[in-house]
Amino acid sequence: MTAMEFKHKMAAHCETGTIAALMAHAGQELSEPMIFGIGGGIFFGYLKTPSFKFPMIVTRTEPGKIRKKIQKRLGASFRTHTFRKPEKAEAALDELVGKGIPTAVQVDMFYMDYIPEYMRAHFNGHYVVVVGKQGSTYRVSDVYYPRISDLSAESMRKGRFALGQLAPKGFLFYPRKIPALGDLRKPIIKGIKEACFNMLSLPIPFLGVRGIRTFAKKVVDWPTLARDEDHLSHEIMMIHVTMEDRGTGGAGFRFMYASFLQQAAEALDNGALAELSKEMMGIGDRWREVSIHTARMGKRREFSRDKLEELKGMILARADEEERFFRALRKAVK
Amino acid sequence: MSDTASPELRLEVKQLILETLKFDDVEPDEVDDDALLFDEDAGLGIDSVDALEIVAALQRKYGARIDDQNIGRFIIRSVATIADFVHCHQQGVPYVPPDAEEA
Repeated sequence: MTAMEFKHKMAAHCETGTIAALMAHAGQELSEPMIFGIGGGIFFGYLKTPSFKFPMIVTRTEPGKIRKKIQKRLGASFRTHTFRKPEKAEAALDELVGKGIPTAVQVDMFYMDYIPEYMRAHFNGHYVVVVGKQGSTYRVSDVYYPRISDLSAESMRKGRFALGQLAPKGFLFYPRKIPALGDLRKPIIKGIKEACFNMLSLPIPFLGVRGIRTFAKKVVDWPTLARDEDHLSHEIMMIHVTMEDRGTGGAGFRFMYASFLQQAAEALDNGALAELSKEMMGIGDRWREVSIHTARMGKRREFSRDKLEELKGMILARADEEERFFRALRKAVK
Repeated sequence: MSDTASPELRLEVKQLILETLKFDDVEPDEVDDDALLFDEDAGLGIDSVDALEIVAALQRKYGARIDDQNIGRFIIRSVATIADFVHCHQQGVPYVPPDAEEA
């Protein structure tokens, strides 16, 4: 079996980058920010449930939702499968790749050993596209890496059947139907309206802009939740990791959303969206300041009340400006 | 147009890194342009927090925003790669990691 022709491209986020690559392979070029925006991906959540040992933040909608929204709004169709047995998962993948179908698989990124070790971490929600197999070696297009690379069948199996939170369970998806991209105006507006609803109107205090405010108010009490200073340092630094280091494109997807709005402004010939794109870029810059603040706090073990209050103030300011921003955005597409 | 940074820009970037990370006891000529910055022996032994400080400093000094951290990982690799990124920004062309496939 040999590798198929596949145009590889790096991307900021694995789910949107993978969808963009599969669509491009089918002859339909749509940028990663467009997929993110049409898919209504921008979000904020402050999550604390019994299943989480410590509160966590999210800055996008749940995994898989962007793909589902893209299907609905663009009329595309992706076939998905999960597996209980690694042998069956491997056989199904080999069959698809053998037919020349590029196939996205969910993996633990740690086992993608073509990536230098210092860049790898355990993360079960990573996606790569398998574009060939030679003997017991897969050819893999990973948006986090500059070129198509080799991965042993053994590493692939470990990656696809890693355990823990978001365990992949051999999940794969591939395009069944990618229609020609027509007029994108309606899908763009639907994606924007969904984002505005999610950020402004969900009646739940820990989601959307309300979630940012909850995060600000609760973070000052994190020292009472942590086991010790090491634990607190780790959790405070996870804010920086979530915002900047988990395939967000930086600033918790805010830069990617700004790029989407820039492209949406052109598609809709809407000058207000172009201005809002610039504004979102600035909001992203200021979220990056929050990341740097938390990274410094964690690294220097500075958890005084003053430092935490300073962090609270920075996050509350982000909530205020995101509220103003999404109200203006909602008005711009009315 | 050359697609790599000049020696002067490399030196400027090196000084910016040392100032940003407050490595007061390191002289610019002690840092190899091509050494991996994360490497404790050959480079400066930086960590991910230091990398973010460098990202912020590049934006402040040159207005060069890294808004894709996957490409960012290949930029914040050595003095040479950072200087090449700044050079591309100044020339108004996208930065492509050295071992990337042709688009």
